[in-house]
Amino acid sequence: MAVPPTRTGIARQRLHVLARAIAAIIGGYVVTALAVACLARLLPMRPAEASIAATLASFAIYAGIIVAIFWAKSMLRVCMGLGSALLLLGAALYLSILIGGRL
Amino acid sequence: MKESFRQSMAWLHTWTGLMFGWLLFAMFLTGTAAYFQQEISRWMRPELVANADPASATQAAINYLQARQPDAESWFITPPSARNPATEVFWQPKKVEGKPPTRRKRGETSAMLDGGGHPVTVRETRGGFFLYRFHFDLHYMPVIWARYLVGVAAMFMLVAILSGIVTHKKIFADFFMLRFGKGQRSWLDAHNVTAAFALPFYLMITYTGLVTLAAQYMPWGVMANYASTDTFFEELFPGNTDVPRSGVAAPLVSVSPLMAIASRTWGGAAVGSIQVTNPGDSTAIITLRRSATTAIGARGESIVFAGSSGRLLDRHAPDGGALATQSVMVGLHAGRYADWGLRWLYFLSGVGGTIMVGSGLVLWTVKRRAKLPDPTHPHFGFRLVERLNIAAIAGLPAGLAAYFLANRLLPIAMADRAEWEINSLFLTWAGVLLWACARPQRRAWVESLSCAAALFVAVPIVNTLTVPRNMLTGLMTGDWLFVAFDMAMVALAFALGWAARKAERAKPKAMRGTRSNGKELIAA
Repeated sequence: MAVPPTRTGIARQRLHVLARAIAAIIGGYVVTALAVACLARLLPMRPAEASIAATLASFAIYAGIIVAIFWAKSMLRVCMGLGSALLLLGAALYLSILIGGRL
Repeated sequence: MKESFRQSMAWLHTWTGLMFGWLLFAMFLTGTAAYFQQEISRWMRPELVANADPASATQAAINYLQARQPDAESWFITPPSARNPATEVFWQPKKVEGKPPTRRKRGETSAMLDGGGHPVTVRETRGGFFLYRFHFDLHYMPVIWARYLVGVAAMFMLVAILSGIVTHKKIFADFFMLRFGKGQRSWLDAHNVTAAFALPFYLMITYTGLVTLAAQYMPWGVMANYASTDTFFEELFPGNTDVPRSGVAAPLVSVSPLMAIASRTWGGAAVGSIQVTNPGDSTAIITLRRSATTAIGARGESIVFAGSSGRLLDRHAPDGGALATQSVMVGLHAGRYADWGLRWLYFLSGVGGTIMVGSGLVLWTVKRRAKLPDPTHPHFGFRLVERLNIAAIAGLPAGLAAYFLANRLLPIAMADRAEWEINSLFLTWAGVLLWACARPQRRAWVESLSCAAALFVAVPIVNTLTVPRNMLTGLMTGDWLFVAFDMAMVALAFALGWAARKAERAKPKAMRGTRSNGKELIAA
């Protein structure tokens, strides 16, 4: 509160918050979904068990990602983190389906 | 974006809390009430007194269904139990070839029976069950959308709890810190004390709440391994597939010996529900499920008998660590296993959570009022939060009292009576919202809280005037339900009245609307 915020300062701040919120809510959900799908396929259990175990962990994963996104130093880091997670998990899921589809 | 982890988490906590605070308050309040949903239902059906033997009541219910629904696809029977004196039955009507099943009204495919299998004449009400359903299905909107909304709110809650732990790092010290009459500081203390009071409970209840509806929120784990959810459930719970009727008639065996066998198999645990598929046919199957009151896990064991011979066909128990974990998580949330002591602890923890959310909402306005450029003319967003706080925190309790009052006051023969009880709740809630918008905020707090208190006082009075069972008759005949219910109403009225008085007396400078019976709870 030391420096009175300017109009453009407030607008920039709001845009920043919006970007983080979108990254956290939507980006976080997509990464969570991929992580859960990967866990369900890769956990060394029966498929039904692995599916349930992955689902049970999903909300903790999601919450962790949201917290991490709001914690991150810059939006650039958020984008890099989300991007690499998407690539890594997407590739793992793709390979797992390609090699030995449980479907 | 912010300098430190704690600061960014404080920011996240404030705004995630505010975004869904009102909905979470309503979910916490009705969910807490739902821990006594059977008792509320019994109070709302005062005509229901019989307490029958489960085995003979089940047989009587089967005779009832045999006479009225002989060609149904299946029957479901919930025998009477310690918390519910009636036998509840519903059935799945026969499917018509080539026609999709039509949606029917609740009353057309269900009935409530006494121990002799006769339909009981009770007033039409949804009772405590409505409060239970409202806490995740809401009302006046499609269930599927309500559940998404509730899921998003629960996810916000989870993030708010996690970021709140980081923000208030001195949780243990906060537990013993409650400074009265210090304006903002007192509000923060009230929020911290109620938060620390049952923090593990809030984390548990939020997480397990998400887990109960995980199939809708996170279907990806199942989708990664199965082409459809049906194949997943078939693998998980084999033997649930539909068998077509053979067309050869065969009478059902008597059900009480089967119940005795089931109970013995489960080490004396009671039967919670009975399902009969293809009744009256040679392919009939009787499935008995263990009562949810005897173990934490919500997915209990089941035992399957042939309907025409009574031969034991199959026995199921939840199999596998993950499934058992999920079963316990769902069971922990619903608390059906809890006996009286634990049930009250659940209830008190829920009350603590309701106050935690409520005091957090008030704290948002308290912290900001002092910093407003002109505190006498706050901007629109601030006024909106202020009014919605009043409507949520005073309005929903008022609505709840109106729901109970409507149960006693609406004509018994009224059309759509149950629905009008519910409408009364929401009309009262909307009324408080309008009132809160029309009045100066301080007066609005005092008046709404007083109104809610007065409505709760009215419940025992109206009950005494309209129904033969009340606190006095209860004390004399040992009808403890009616004693406890009236006392709970008086306690709620007292708490709300006390809050109204605090709001009235608070010095304008420190006054930001008061509802801090969190202090009472801790003191008690």
